[in-house]
Amino acid sequence: MNKHKFIQQRRPHWIKFEKFLREASSKSLSKLPADKISTFSQLLREISHDLATIRSRGWGHELISYLNDLAARGHNLFYSAPPANIAGVYRYLAFEFPRLFRANIGYFLTACLLFFVPMSVSWCVIQNNPELASRIIPEEYLTRFDQMYGEEGGLNSDTENQTENHEEAEESEEPETGSFGDQRAAMAGFYINNNVGIALKCFALGVLLGIGTVYTLLFNGIFLGAVSGYIISQGNGERFLSFVISHGSFELTAIAVAGGAGLMLGNAIIHPGQRTRFQSLQVRGLEAVQIAGGAAAMLVIAAMIEAFWSPADFPNEVKYLVGSGLWLIVFCYLAFAGLQADNRLPRQHSLSISPRKGDPPQ
Amino acid sequence: MESTITLNETNPVSAEYPESFQQGERSLLGLEMQVETPENVVLSYQLAGPSQRYVAYLIDFMIRSIMLVGILIFFIAPLSGVMMPGAMMGLFLVIMFLNTWGYYTISETFFKGKSIGKHACGLRVIREGGYPITFWPSLLRNLARSADSIILYGVGVTSMLLTRRFQRLGDLVAGTVVIQERSLTLPRKPIILNKIKPLDKNEIGSFLPRDEVLSLIDEFIGRRHVLTYERGHALASQLAQRLAKRLQYSGDEKKVSQYPMAFLASVYKTFSFGQTVEEQELVDEYQKRSASEGEFYE
Repeated sequence: MNKHKFIQQRRPHWIKFEKFLREASSKSLSKLPADKISTFSQLLREISHDLATIRSRGWGHELISYLNDLAARGHNLFYSAPPANIAGVYRYLAFEFPRLFRANIGYFLTACLLFFVPMSVSWCVIQNNPELASRIIPEEYLTRFDQMYGEEGGLNSDTENQTENHEEAEESEEPETGSFGDQRAAMAGFYINNNVGIALKCFALGVLLGIGTVYTLLFNGIFLGAVSGYIISQGNGERFLSFVISHGSFELTAIAVAGGAGLMLGNAIIHPGQRTRFQSLQVRGLEAVQIAGGAAAMLVIAAMIEAFWSPADFPNEVKYLVGSGLWLIVFCYLAFAGLQADNRLPRQHSLSISPRKGDPPQ
Repeated sequence: MESTITLNETNPVSAEYPESFQQGERSLLGLEMQVETPENVVLSYQLAGPSQRYVAYLIDFMIRSIMLVGILIFFIAPLSGVMMPGAMMGLFLVIMFLNTWGYYTISETFFKGKSIGKHACGLRVIREGGYPITFWPSLLRNLARSADSIILYGVGVTSMLLTRRFQRLGDLVAGTVVIQERSLTLPRKPIILNKIKPLDKNEIGSFLPRDEVLSLIDEFIGRRHVLTYERGHALASQLAQRLAKRLQYSGDEKKVSQYPMAFLASVYKTFSFGQTVEEQELVDEYQKRSASEGEFYE
């Protein structure tokens, strides 16, 4: 077989495949008619064969790189993952995330240790010795906390109404509820931006052998504990706890979940098991990021609660009741969601993850 | 090639297979990553180095900043005067969050591994097996960006320089690589050397140059305009003299020393158009096959 003859014969097929690639790249392959797909698959195999032929005969670098690129694009198109949809999101939140979480619960418990133990220690210490608070928390924060949770603070719903009444006196057209909800919406945006960002960073820094995650967990634990201890020691405990209890359920748990995912990344490098370190990082990393994604979703919920429910004007008893209910919901979600068999939904193998330990028998 | 086949049989876990395949290719110096496809053909991808990716990053960074400022000036600021300034502020903060943490993930997931900057630089993110990137790996590699970006991406660049495939930490975790996409150019028609006469059969021995040598000559002649005349001449004369020796060429000495390119061309013409019986059989078989296929889809 002569090189020129070979090119002459095969060239129409290559051009056809090129045209096909251009057509198919604008829309999904799965939307094409069946006969076109089978033609495509045949052409892809033919071009792979041509590439192998040309390579083994050493027929020139240019030709090889041309066919290589052609085959690579076809490969990329042909083996693409099935498109994601809403059902997939539901499936993830209802089944996959809690299952993955339970399968790797050890990391979560470790993260809890790293987060809640320093938190309670610093809480106890600061509550008993409030003068130490300024060593951990900057002064301007302390005065702000005093204002927020103090008698005349902005958080106090009565005073908030009062200030609003003041405003209303000045510009009486503005509806009261509108501007109040409005302020809260701004806070929701702030909480999402800030808290989810911290949790995601806490997870991502786990790549550095878990050191970044451990640092973030310890730092946030000590800081939050100190803040709580300080505010309670100033005599604003009732108001603070009723404010915090509702969103704390989602927020604190989610930070520990994200931290656990970060520790998983770090541990994958330190203890790779039977795999190489990089392979272990990849396999565990894909699981870890799905756990962290769940934590991010939980933090978005927490931000909504923190902005719209926690500062709302309700008696403290109601808030404690709802807050405990939310803690129960978080516990039940993480402990029991996805335990039942889900035969009704088709199983999607979008990711190549090794069989999970926590999977229930189907 | 034999070793890859045995590996394929003993080690069916596809995720680990390319790794072991790469071991053999390790000595090969270059910016190529090789992947074996299910069609049993080895594809090679051109990897993208730190400098290209830095340019793409800068473009993306500019786009992200402009987007944020643009939304603030043209969308948030006018609207917040009209209605609910707080809600607009909240919306802006959410957009800022998505811009920081979601820009790359969203664009890479929806545009098949390309952000706008990568598209401008002709780069694409793929998974190590040559497969297109999906949501979770993309999220993972872009979350890990915050670890990579420590000390002005110092961590990421160090990791890129230390790994064979220029992977930053995010790429290592997610199992992805960034490749350069070359534009598809069908090789130009091979030069048919009409004016060149084949060598006289009586002037050469029985030596048959290999196919590779012939295609080397073909490529060399095809790309001769890339080199200056002197340099091309010098290179050609090296090959021509060696070939003349192997061929036991007894014709005009001048042709080898003075016009090495013409000599190479005539060698090419002599051998590439003379076919052995074995090759003729192959051609027949191939023509039969492609004829039957032609009916199938034409």
